[in-house]
Amino acid sequence: MDKLVAQYSRPPHQNEMYSEQEQQDLTASVPPLSLKFSLPPVDNHSAFLRAMTDDHSNPSCPIKLAHGTTTLAFRFQGGIIVCTDSRATAGNWIASQTVKKVIPVSRLSRGEDKKSNEPTPGLLGTMAGGAADCQYWLRYLSQQCTLHEIRHKRRITVAAASKILANLTYAYKGYGLSMGTMLAGMTPQEGPALYYIDSDGTRLPGNLFCVGSGQTFAYGVLDAEYKYELTEEEALNLGRRAILAAMHRDAYSGGFINLYHVKEEGWVHHGFDDMNPIFWDTKLQKGEFSNVTSAL
Amino acid sequence: MPGFDFTNYNRNAALHARGVPLPKATSTGTTIVGCVYDKGVVIAADTRATSGPIVADKNCEKLHYIAPKIWCAGAGTAADTEFTTALISSNVELHSLSTGRDPRVITCMTMLKQHLFRYQGHIGAYLVVAGVDPTGTGLYTVHAHGSTDKLPYVTMGSGSLAAMSVFESTWRPDLDRQGAIDICAEAIKAGIFNDLGSGSNVDVCVIEKDQPTQLLRNYMKPNERPQKERNYRFPRGTTAYLDQRVISKEDMKKYVTIETLSGDDNLATGDSMEVDT
Amino acid sequence: MAQKVVEAYETGSGAGKNAPFVPIVHESLDLQADRLLPSQSNPFDINGGACVAMVGKDCVAIACDLRLGMQSLTISNNFPKIFNYAPSTYLGLTGLATDVNTVSDLFRYKVNMYRLREERDIAPQTLANLVSSSLYEKRFGPYFVSPVLAGINPTTGKPFICGFDSIGCIDFAKDFIVSGTASDQLFGTCEGLWEPDLAPEDLFETISQALLSAVDRDALSGWGAQVYIIEKDKVTQRLLKGRQD
Repeated sequence: MDKLVAQYSRPPHQNEMYSEQEQQDLTASVPPLSLKFSLPPVDNHSAFLRAMTDDHSNPSCPIKLAHGTTTLAFRFQGGIIVCTDSRATAGNWIASQTVKKVIPVSRLSRGEDKKSNEPTPGLLGTMAGGAADCQYWLRYLSQQCTLHEIRHKRRITVAAASKILANLTYAYKGYGLSMGTMLAGMTPQEGPALYYIDSDGTRLPGNLFCVGSGQTFAYGVLDAEYKYELTEEEALNLGRRAILAAMHRDAYSGGFINLYHVKEEGWVHHGFDDMNPIFWDTKLQKGEFSNVTSAL
Repeated sequence: MPGFDFTNYNRNAALHARGVPLPKATSTGTTIVGCVYDKGVVIAADTRATSGPIVADKNCEKLHYIAPKIWCAGAGTAADTEFTTALISSNVELHSLSTGRDPRVITCMTMLKQHLFRYQGHIGAYLVVAGVDPTGTGLYTVHAHGSTDKLPYVTMGSGSLAAMSVFESTWRPDLDRQGAIDICAEAIKAGIFNDLGSGSNVDVCVIEKDQPTQLLRNYMKPNERPQKERNYRFPRGTTAYLDQRVISKEDMKKYVTIETLSGDDNLATGDSMEVDT
Repeated sequence: MAQKVVEAYETGSGAGKNAPFVPIVHESLDLQADRLLPSQSNPFDINGGACVAMVGKDCVAIACDLRLGMQSLTISNNFPKIFNYAPSTYLGLTGLATDVNTVSDLFRYKVNMYRLREERDIAPQTLANLVSSSLYEKRFGPYFVSPVLAGINPTTGKPFICGFDSIGCIDFAKDFIVSGTASDQLFGTCEGLWEPDLAPEDLFETISQALLSAVDRDALSGWGAQVYIIEKDKVTQRLLKGRQD
């Protein structure tokens, strides 16, 4: 009986300060991690997962995850440009050409009812690696960001949001998560802020990142033309051109160019356009991509 | 030089040791059967060739000619059945030419088993050999490792169990020609419908003494595809192209030059041969 | 080879166990292979590529993509896989690019020798048997190629197409033949789009759309395409405007 009483009552001095619940709410904006994912009954989960899913080392692996991507984001004087391709591959099979690899992260950012071209407040996350991992954990991040907003009555900083994700991926290190993501946002405290987070637990702030199988091609274009002082117009075109180059040379990137601009007030979508007409325009009008034959 | 060439063998073995998978050969995941009757023998086969899970050929020929009155049905690696039967057919003909006698089924079967045994099963040919010769009717199976069987009715291939069930339940020792054809076709159909590796049509070959051998190609077509109700024809000009080149008949010849050397001039640079006069 | 033999057993009688397979490996080659191979991948899928042939009314068509890759990296956008061996006989070769080159050169040599000896062009049927025997000669060390042959017989004027596996089994078909990394997709598009007795211009549209649709769903092929429409006294070669991603 004493035990029961002790369980449901507290000594008075504890109520003078904050309750346990209140304390927890204040100290940890993130609830403790739940490790309730069921794990396979084997000794080494990550090795098992790799053996089952890594089609690069074993083309006949039983589970083929969708991956292969080019995503890029860079900071410039007018904000941040985020640009991705839209291809999902499972082995050599192109599973989809219309994947949305930019994921809005925030409560208010489901801006379907907004007037077009009006900035939507919130952060943007990009998706590379396991599609399911990225979607699930960015949704989780979105939830945490919203809770943060409710608790603190102001938007979360990109630094804080990226840390939630990085802590998460670090906690699951070795379990076989596969994600390489960039978080982009602009807050009054930080200005334009860009972070790279991956499933190894890495978290890096930076000016310019490219992630995915086509990253080297995008870096090639971006490094040649990038400077912080780019105008908005130039920056949008550079993002588009870098993704185009990666789509062209990387077999696992392609489809549509998804382009976003993150500003102080929020992000603006600049189209989800088929690369095919853009490519032929770039080639035939501007004379680039001279490697592609157009005559017998 | 006739025979196999092993020049790429070490390269491919090294690749294989690194874990590189081996090429997928077309194999005839097959039902083949044979059955004797009072005056001769019937063999039959389905017509599906597969490459992994893909149907590579919907109407291939698995009944191979060996001699006018000896035919062979093949299962296993398609290229192996094709070339092994062609090789043995050639040797059987040479043998019959040098002996001046009609080839015997048992001779052919022995040549096949010796050839296959030499290659220790690496030549993946599983055969049903059938025919008539001066000693009577012959029906044998030959496995890739070189073992053989002599039976009144036989089945082979991945559909052999389905086909055998037909023989085991309906075969009688006193079959006539049509009865044998019917039971063979029925056995193949059991394979076509119950075995995923077999499909499409039924080919039958009837070999009988004093009668020309009959190859009944597509004796039954139980899986004919109905004609499309409408078509998916694209209007001309649908496909965008960047450039085109037309090669006319005259131009085609440009890529090939054939010069005929005239015979009267002494073109040979070497000394002319000395001839006794 | 061991794996292959097992496959044959399964389709054959199900009898017998596989003989132990001990590959002979040179030490030097062993080390080299370690460095050369980025991963353990199928030789047929390293470079990518697709090829298809179709029969029409008094004409045949053969088409290929133009990509040459090294896994995900596209190296060249101008690597045609169709080779000409006689006025109206064409051979498409997909698979490992080094073997595509070796085999195409080998057949150029063999066909030239044939022409010198016979003083006539090789017929598609003859070339088919030549290809078949040449590949089967290397039964235990095959070239990693899947050839597709299309042509019109110079004497009969009849269209002819056929395909081969890497060890020379001929697949005679009355409709179409496919090969390459997009072959699964090509089987689907061709099975849906092909119909008998297409005129040359209609055949061009059908084969082009079948190929373009198929390679758009394959990561390792595409980057433009070439089509040959072969008629009795005329061959039309076209460079298609395909997606470049």
